[in-house]
Amino acid sequence: MKRIVIDPFTRLEGHGRIDIFLDDAGDVANAYLRVPELRGFEKFCEGRPVEELPRITPRICGVCPSAHHMASTKAVDAVFHVDPPPVAKKVRELYYCAHMCHSHIAHFYALAAPDFVLGPTSDPAQRNILGLIAKVGVDIGLQVIKTRSDAQYIQEVIGGKATHSVCGLPGGVSKAITEEERADFEDKAKSMVEFGKFSLKLFNDVVLSNKEYVDIILGDIYFMTSYYMGMVDANNKVNFYDGDIRVVDPEGKELVKFKVADYLDIIAEHTEPWTYLKFPFLKKIGWKGLVDGMDSGVYRVAPLARLNTADGMATPLAQAEYERMYSTLGGKPAHHTLANHWARLIELQYAAERLLELCQDKEITDPNVRTLPTATPTEGVGVVEAPRGTLFHHYQTDANGMVEKVNLIVATGNNNAAMCISIKKAAQGLIKAGKVVNEGILNMIEMAYRAYDPCIACATHSLPGQMPLEVVIYDKEGKELDRLSQYIS
Amino acid sequence: MKTLVLGLGNPILSDDSVGFRVVQGLKAEFSRHDLTLMESSAAGLGLLDLITGYDRVIIIDAIKTEGGQAGKIYRLNAENLSNTRHYASPHDINLATALELGKKLGIALPRQIIIFAIEVVDVTNFSEKCTPEVEKAIPLAVSMIAEELSGD
Repeated sequence: MKRIVIDPFTRLEGHGRIDIFLDDAGDVANAYLRVPELRGFEKFCEGRPVEELPRITPRICGVCPSAHHMASTKAVDAVFHVDPPPVAKKVRELYYCAHMCHSHIAHFYALAAPDFVLGPTSDPAQRNILGLIAKVGVDIGLQVIKTRSDAQYIQEVIGGKATHSVCGLPGGVSKAITEEERADFEDKAKSMVEFGKFSLKLFNDVVLSNKEYVDIILGDIYFMTSYYMGMVDANNKVNFYDGDIRVVDPEGKELVKFKVADYLDIIAEHTEPWTYLKFPFLKKIGWKGLVDGMDSGVYRVAPLARLNTADGMATPLAQAEYERMYSTLGGKPAHHTLANHWARLIELQYAAERLLELCQDKEITDPNVRTLPTATPTEGVGVVEAPRGTLFHHYQTDANGMVEKVNLIVATGNNNAAMCISIKKAAQGLIKAGKVVNEGILNMIEMAYRAYDPCIACATHSLPGQMPLEVVIYDKEGKELDRLSQYIS
Repeated sequence: MKTLVLGLGNPILSDDSVGFRVVQGLKAEFSRHDLTLMESSAAGLGLLDLITGYDRVIIIDAIKTEGGQAGKIYRLNAENLSNTRHYASPHDINLATALELGKKLGIALPRQIIIFAIEVVDVTNFSEKCTPEVEKAIPLAVSMIAEELSGD
């Protein structure tokens, strides 16, 4: 049996890796995503005042600290049995929409777009944001930087710090938005709405108008049927900050809609000896292994899952794009993993529109931003939709509010089984009869998991690291035959 | 010369906090109007935002090299960066790419970038303490950077 290893080195110690096992005929038998673990996070939290967790949990990694901050703040609300005043919820949602804009812009322009603008099998030295800008122009590059910075700036003003925010308190937020800030945010939100339109047009012109790319998106190697999970509002529209969690089956029918506090009734976690990262699955369906389809409890989160789960988008421009996407893809739910990039841009449009709505809300500068907690703290669950999917924080405390237990299910954890299946399918479609893997094929396998925008760092409590890849091909006896790499200098 | 001294890392992940700790040490010694001392966990595009507008940037971060000696301090410059896989994030671009991007877009980048990288041991256990050898390197790094700055 041949073994192919795709080995992403990280910034420091500890790295994830993809192992691809070939059978005797040289076809792909199995593919696994293996990740390391950082130790002691739960223990680090134990014995500390629970209201400190919104400032500690974002330190798990530097990629989406704002998502952890918000999920944690909501969990702490629940621990103290306190309901924040309406304006505090709106301020948090405004902040959170800015975070979604910021994160989605970075992923699309820095990581996803180069595959499509330059081509999935192009030279990796060119296939990056620099190559992208060489192709689309410096003006667009400047706009990407500016819009992303604006979104970061809004988070900084509300959050109190540039990356690791300190605004979330049990029962509300630490300070109100002033009229001057509101007016500034409104201007920035307006340009973000325009940037959302521009990004969707770029996707349309560059990706959807190119038959070769559309064929890749719709092709078998990036197709996988599964259950989908996402947060929805009272009208079953996508919501990033608050709502119930809905799960739909591979045909789009609702399997269950549940309150966040009941997540342990719905989700269980399977473990495998070869990875530290657990495999969450739907209890109702059961764990059937790393297989897709109606009978497997594997579900997916992230942008495409959120759109598949919901009945639509709550803002007009995003809703129009939502309808256009499903009519192009041939109906709902869409099982084309690469459509995550399209869904991500539709979410960028929604986040920008919702941001603008909140900036124009008459109540948004109301100074009453906190309800003081008075009940004895016990236990609570807080959930948000992180840029890369549903994020659960669950805390238990003693009567003094000191942490006794912490459980997190992060977005990349939710997608763990699905990513393994997607990698396997891509590998099966691209490596046949022992054909030697080349650079382009390597990237096309990587595209299967890049679509999920995975955050290995966060999922394993590990460190941020670039995703350089190394493929090692072994023969039956385990002797190394060939070695290919990218992003390793 | 408008200078930014930037400590990078994760303050609660054992030796990964070394950049933060060195900057905290410098804060106790320095207060100069042309000097900004900052701790951050940013990467890629986020770093570009932070360093824009300065004449000089001194970055302090953890590094792990093959067979490296714990606590060893390396002084690197921007040219060394293209040969390292440091300063990267799975969701972002690395510093070398960020700098090149800034150049291409005409953003006002520092003329001089110096990196002090400290060889570390433990970056997998959550803790507010560094390992002993790395702990010993902190005052040494503080004085090396203080000397770098005293030449102004």
